[in-house]
Amino acid sequence: MPEPATDMVLLKAAGTPPRLLAKALFLAGLLLLACLASLLFGAGDVGPVRALTWLLGGGDDEAHFVISTLRAPRALIGLTVGMALGVSGALLQAVARNPLAEPGLLGVSAGSAFAVALILVMGASAATLRVGVAQIGALVGCLCVLGVARLRGVDGDPIRLVLAGAAFTGLLGALTSLLLLYDQRAADEIRFWVVGSLSGRRLDDLVAIAPGLLVAGVITLLIARPLASLALGERVATGLGHQPKLIRLLVIFSVALLVGSATAVAGPIAFVGLVVPYAARALAGPDIRRTLWLCLLLGPLMVITADIISRLLVAPSEMPLGVLTALCGAPVLVAVVRARRLPSL
Amino acid sequence: MSTPSDALGDEAAGLEASDLGLAYGKHTIIEALNLSLPQGQVTAIVGPNGCGKSTLLAGLARLHTPSQGHVLLDGQDIQRLPSRALATRLALLPQETHAPEGLTVSELIRFGRQPHQGWLRQWSEEDQCVVAQAMEAADLQGLADRSLDALSGGQRQRAWIAMTIAQHTPLLLLDEPTSALDLGHQIEVFELIRRLAAKGRTVVMVVHDLASACRYADYLVAMHEGAIIAEGDPRDIVTPTLVRQLYGIDCTLIPDPETGSPLLAGIRRASS
Amino acid sequence: MNSYSSSDVAMKRSADRGPTLHGPAHAPNGTWCLAWSGNGGQQHSLLIDRRGLAANLLLALGLMASSLAYLSLGSLTVAPWELIDVLAGGGDPVASFMVQELRLPRLAIACLTGAAFALSGCLMQTLARNRLATPGIIGIDNGATAFAVASVVGIGVVIAPPAMALAGAATATALTFGLVGGGGARGYRFIVAGIGVGAVFGAITQLLLARVSIDVANSAYPWTVGTLNARPSNAVAALALGLPLGLLAALGLSRALAVMRFSESVAKGLGQPVNRRRHQALILAVILTALAVAVAGPVGMVGLIGPEIARYLSSSRSVPIVASALAGALVMVLSDLVGRTLFTPIEVPVGIVTSVVGAPYLLWILLRTSRSLA
Repeated sequence: MPEPATDMVLLKAAGTPPRLLAKALFLAGLLLLACLASLLFGAGDVGPVRALTWLLGGGDDEAHFVISTLRAPRALIGLTVGMALGVSGALLQAVARNPLAEPGLLGVSAGSAFAVALILVMGASAATLRVGVAQIGALVGCLCVLGVARLRGVDGDPIRLVLAGAAFTGLLGALTSLLLLYDQRAADEIRFWVVGSLSGRRLDDLVAIAPGLLVAGVITLLIARPLASLALGERVATGLGHQPKLIRLLVIFSVALLVGSATAVAGPIAFVGLVVPYAARALAGPDIRRTLWLCLLLGPLMVITADIISRLLVAPSEMPLGVLTALCGAPVLVAVVRARRLPSL
Repeated sequence: MSTPSDALGDEAAGLEASDLGLAYGKHTIIEALNLSLPQGQVTAIVGPNGCGKSTLLAGLARLHTPSQGHVLLDGQDIQRLPSRALATRLALLPQETHAPEGLTVSELIRFGRQPHQGWLRQWSEEDQCVVAQAMEAADLQGLADRSLDALSGGQRQRAWIAMTIAQHTPLLLLDEPTSALDLGHQIEVFELIRRLAAKGRTVVMVVHDLASACRYADYLVAMHEGAIIAEGDPRDIVTPTLVRQLYGIDCTLIPDPETGSPLLAGIRRASS
Repeated sequence: MNSYSSSDVAMKRSADRGPTLHGPAHAPNGTWCLAWSGNGGQQHSLLIDRRGLAANLLLALGLMASSLAYLSLGSLTVAPWELIDVLAGGGDPVASFMVQELRLPRLAIACLTGAAFALSGCLMQTLARNRLATPGIIGIDNGATAFAVASVVGIGVVIAPPAMALAGAATATALTFGLVGGGGARGYRFIVAGIGVGAVFGAITQLLLARVSIDVANSAYPWTVGTLNARPSNAVAALALGLPLGLLAALGLSRALAVMRFSESVAKGLGQPVNRRRHQALILAVILTALAVAVAGPVGMVGLIGPEIARYLSSSRSVPIVASALAGALVMVLSDLVGRTLFTPIEVPVGIVTSVVGAPYLLWILLRTSRSLA
């Protein structure tokens, strides 16, 4: 009987399959655990037991101080940065139709970092200003790489786009180093920031980036559907009544907002935007509307876990977060490249 | 036969495959194949896609190490020959050719002399003679200083064949020398190959198009699924049954009114 | 059957015994043919590429001019005519100290490292048949740096930096080639895999630096971006010994390299044992990179720019080995000169200068219109 089979297919396509929901719940559970671990573990005297005691209502002043002013904001920032980076990776990959398009690899984060280094050298230090500049830098970086690639007809070639991004990142990295050499004071201020880290961030930073993230979130919600049809090709999307150019611009704008915010707080962190959507696609399939939700969970999970490890691995000193994300991101990069046929998104 | 020192001709050499097996890893392409190539003639290897004809050619040219059996050149196993000695007796034009940017035709042809040269013997009268003759044979004199990038497909292919001619070997192996060429350029290349055979060279080529193979080859080797299913003079062995075995099509064969080589007519999918 | 008569050629040969310089009538266009007969009566001949020779001379001249500038410019300017005096041992003692003790050794190191980076870049590009496949881009530099940093910051093992750099370079190379698997060094996949491997080693370097005190990390920082300031003497000695040997070995491979630019089967058809030669060239490139990184850190862009300049100046008949080395030395000397003098009193590490120059160039190569690169 053919009819029930068709119904089944339709059902599967339309609604969220129960297995995906289960996966999402499982990930949410993991994320909660990671957040808890982020509160419990850390350098210094406040060990897991003391921290747990404080969390359960007991405890001492030192634990109170360490957790509420150091670890909790840090976990919260990790959560935010992870979401922003994960989602921005998924968006960028959808719009470039390229599984390797990652804000860190394409020079978006580097553009943002360079912009921040520039204004720091010029003497500014206010957090709000930094966020705005970081977002503008990200926007310029994004437009540069995607725009030039499109102009030269390279955008159809995923691997060449990544190479161009790597060259662009290298250039901006060298320029940033040049700025750091030029101004020792700024160098001390941002040297640790430039490699990407969550240490020493305060909640003020979070407040500063909140508006940008909110706007980006709303845009993402609005364009998720048309973006999914863009995956079928520009012509098909136009045929379905969407405006590919507008969608693309909106996506680039929100990617810039997201990456700029994340970079302003945590510095340039590469590979999160690659690994997270890669894992999300593996779990939920190619539809961007589903992967985005998983990215919201997987992104923070990766960032917070990496942050905990970076705190513990070389305690009492601390390792830049970017190091860990690169260590787990690079193998994913190689895996994507090694695949016989690059899936064009 | 024109001049006494003619780079086009040479003593013939016998190339044969005995019990030859070729494999990519565990994936066997050719098993226990026996073949002896007629000397001083053009042999065409034909067959459907994936029948192993290019693999066979690669095996004959030692690009591919046999998993069993031997390829014998004048009775010697080619695996035992030094690379350079082999290159002075057997020249190969692979399907995939790629030259550095800006290389000119004469520079390319001069590379064909490399197996005959050494560190202290970088250029000789003989080299000069052979290069000039190769250029003449391929009708490239006017193009000697043109960059390869600036040539038409047919001209470029002739330049590559000229390079293999300059290798001055009795044996020439060509892998689909006319693929990606239009009809005019194909004829250009095939006629050059005929001229080489007329000078006494043994030519082996993989050809995609059965009709051209029949028209320009003296000896046809038909392959299917890694085995030779027929070999001999194309006029004798090409039959509707063979065409059907090879390509799964039914057709009528009529002799070319000019040359007598078989032509395919009334082609349709085989009714099984 | 017609047979090629060799007696005819032999007769022509016997006519000109003794060393002669063939004119254009005999030698191929654009070359000089130097011919003589050896002891056993064999004919010997050398083919000299006129354009290649001119390129080498031009680069050598450029290198000499920039060396002069390098020695005279800086915080204390020494006029070129005073230089001769100073180099001869006389002159103003301060100038003498500046030139003899500071600039001259550094100049020598710039030449050595530049030549080594560019030579290994040229070898890698040729054997991978891809201009982007330079050691700096495919992660070999980063591998060497990570291992060398490990020996500098003293993690467990006590091995000299050059040896560690070699181990690192070899590891990174093996990883990159191993990860792309059977596909070989073809195309961009190989390059991106190399970038991935490079990122891992870059992260490891950061990790190592994060474990040591901030002062040690700060002092190691310029070295991780590439500088001529550190120059550990044992590493310099290793490089000074290794570079000439490497250059000779590369020249020995040059005829094989020239045909390896064609597709692999063409090179095999021309009688080159391609796999063996490729391994030799790869090992050579890895060793040269490691030696240079141990001295100067990852100044990888020289490996891209040097061979590009050399190829632009030379003809496409052969692989420009000597020209690459010269061009690399030239680029390194000029870059370090700029880094030393442009922002005085701040000294910009040479690696940053070459990155700022090289990255836009790399972008240009990548975005050049056609797909001819693939």
